[in-house]
Amino acid sequence: MSKIWSETLYDAYGQSFAIDKVYFESKTEHQHLMIFHNAMFGRVMVLDGIVQTTEKDEFIYHEMLTHTPILAHGNAKRVLIIGGGDGGILREVCKHTSIEHVTQVEIDQAVIDMAKEYLPKHSNGAFDDPRANIIIDDGIKFVTETDEKFDIIISDSTDPIGPGEVLFTSTFYDGCKRCLNKDGILVTQNGVAFMQPDEVVTTSKRLAPLFSDTCFYGAAVPTYIGGIMTFAWATNNIQCRMQDVTAIRQRYSAANITTRYYNPDIHIAAFALPQYVIDAINE
Amino acid sequence: MTAFLKDIEIQQLAEQHGAPLLVLDCARLQQQYDDLQAALPGVEFFYAVKALPNDAVINTLKQLGAGFDIASSGEIDQVHRQQINPRRTIHTHPIKKDRDIRDALRFGCTTFVVDNIDELKKFRKYRHRVGLLLRVSFRSETAVVDLSRKFGCNPDEALQLIQRAQQMGIHVKGLSFHVGSQSSSADAHVHAIEQCMRIMLQSEVPLSTLDIGGGFPANYDGKTQDINDFCAPIREALSKIPADINIIAEPGRFLVAPAVMSISSVMGKAVRAGTTWYYLDDGVYGSYSGRIFDHATYPIRTLKTGETRSCVLAGPTCDSIDVIAEDIQLPELEIGDLVIGEMMGAYTAATATDFNSLARAKVLVLNEPGQDTLTPALQESLFPQPPELVPATLNTH
Repeated sequence: MSKIWSETLYDAYGQSFAIDKVYFESKTEHQHLMIFHNAMFGRVMVLDGIVQTTEKDEFIYHEMLTHTPILAHGNAKRVLIIGGGDGGILREVCKHTSIEHVTQVEIDQAVIDMAKEYLPKHSNGAFDDPRANIIIDDGIKFVTETDEKFDIIISDSTDPIGPGEVLFTSTFYDGCKRCLNKDGILVTQNGVAFMQPDEVVTTSKRLAPLFSDTCFYGAAVPTYIGGIMTFAWATNNIQCRMQDVTAIRQRYSAANITTRYYNPDIHIAAFALPQYVIDAINE
Repeated sequence: MTAFLKDIEIQQLAEQHGAPLLVLDCARLQQQYDDLQAALPGVEFFYAVKALPNDAVINTLKQLGAGFDIASSGEIDQVHRQQINPRRTIHTHPIKKDRDIRDALRFGCTTFVVDNIDELKKFRKYRHRVGLLLRVSFRSETAVVDLSRKFGCNPDEALQLIQRAQQMGIHVKGLSFHVGSQSSSADAHVHAIEQCMRIMLQSEVPLSTLDIGGGFPANYDGKTQDINDFCAPIREALSKIPADINIIAEPGRFLVAPAVMSISSVMGKAVRAGTTWYYLDDGVYGSYSGRIFDHATYPIRTLKTGETRSCVLAGPTCDSIDVIAEDIQLPELEIGDLVIGEMMGAYTAATATDFNSLARAKVLVLNEPGQDTLTPALQESLFPQPPELVPATLNTH
């Protein structure tokens, strides 16, 4: 029988994976990272007992966190990625020939090296894109100190318990605000609201004072169990998410990108939230 | 009694490795585990790592299917190094820093123990991730170490705390108790089980787990009740519990105490006020720390025979409290002679200190399952001056 890896995100409920082969395992101080193969999801990366990404369903997450803000913006040239060491976001951003520059700030070079070797399909060569500038630094430090400005900021962090914690703070959001261009958009991964409604509530409270338009959109990613994953959305230009499907179709068509989850109809529909999310935010 | 080594083997190990030593026999540990399992069928065991935080102990028990009771981030690191499935661990310290909770969650342990409202509040922000056991306090008349004063809520408060937890959206999944350590009868266990069941049946929130703690006595004095007899009333009490309730226990002492023997040597002797004092190279600041912290009296013997007389055994430090035994009957000893402490696995090495910058006793491991040699390789330890693990070879011809 195969060995079984069980996620320990929740005490009373969880998902398990049969491990066909372990490719990589590292335990640093208080951090346990493993990449293994599973027959249904391909390569699976887990950190501290929680699924981070799998080859099979990563496209849903990465496409939605990337194309939604870029095409909603309509004229994005400069993108900042915080975290995202597996390279999936970078790969999606680089699909847009209209994007002139991408800065990615990842706190740990080892994550990039490991992902390049064991999850090569995630970045698919994007780390070598001439438009990409990879900086190994603390994301919160970068957004607080940089003089550069960006049209889109994508925060692709780990969960709030662990190294990604600072990327859910007001200080980080404030830093993002200061290095966003006038019509810029910040998007962040924000957890599965059905299972952990607190994350939506907290993020909403922290973003609202900083941006004139804050909301969430969602997509169901199978290995982020428990319903839709929410992505936070923050900008000072409400027009960005008021684009109709025709406008998005034109931009999508002009971008000439291939996607497997994202399309203009999904784009519009993703902003329609279940009532339990709306109630949680408004409580 | 321990007696897993013949005198000649003890002599051999001392010559080979030098005193002071602690010798751990994993086969004896396994025997204890099997005995306890036979005495408490259907009960799931979580070894209390604190009793002897030793990698070989953890590895042996892991292979026997045990879970692990951890109470600190250091203990988490240790079970993590031994690749223990976090689902097979419970965090049992009733009082925690936020950091402790986060470390445990990041390891993958999602079961925690609380016994008061302030502790409960700490879990509000982790409420979607955790399942809690509420520790209830019952005083034991007979326990040597009474744990019900420092920890545990009053049984009368339990339902209210469960209700408060529910209002906060925190899942309390069961109750736990500790009657104390080294009980002389199971009366306290039985009483606590009955009281907990009363609470569990009254609770509106379904409670799935009852943690009956530890307190299973080790046979220090040779007169302690056999574990099967000791547990008979507990078995009886547990038999009345509905089958869908999961019964767990946190044995520590019972499992490891008889699995370890201390070997120290006489490094000096003097006659003071007509009594002979022997100064050993291990004492109450070292392996015999349980004399102080654990109120334990270990069976002590020598390899010599002959007429015995009353003497004093003192440890190697400069402190006057460092006396292992007063008025103990031993044959006349010479410098270099070995003194054997039996039943020295629980709360001995675990609470040893580095006072006087004296090195702690080396730990030798025998019969570790899955090891070709008799011991594991040198392992990283939690301690600033770690108890050294060295390979032991034993000529058993």
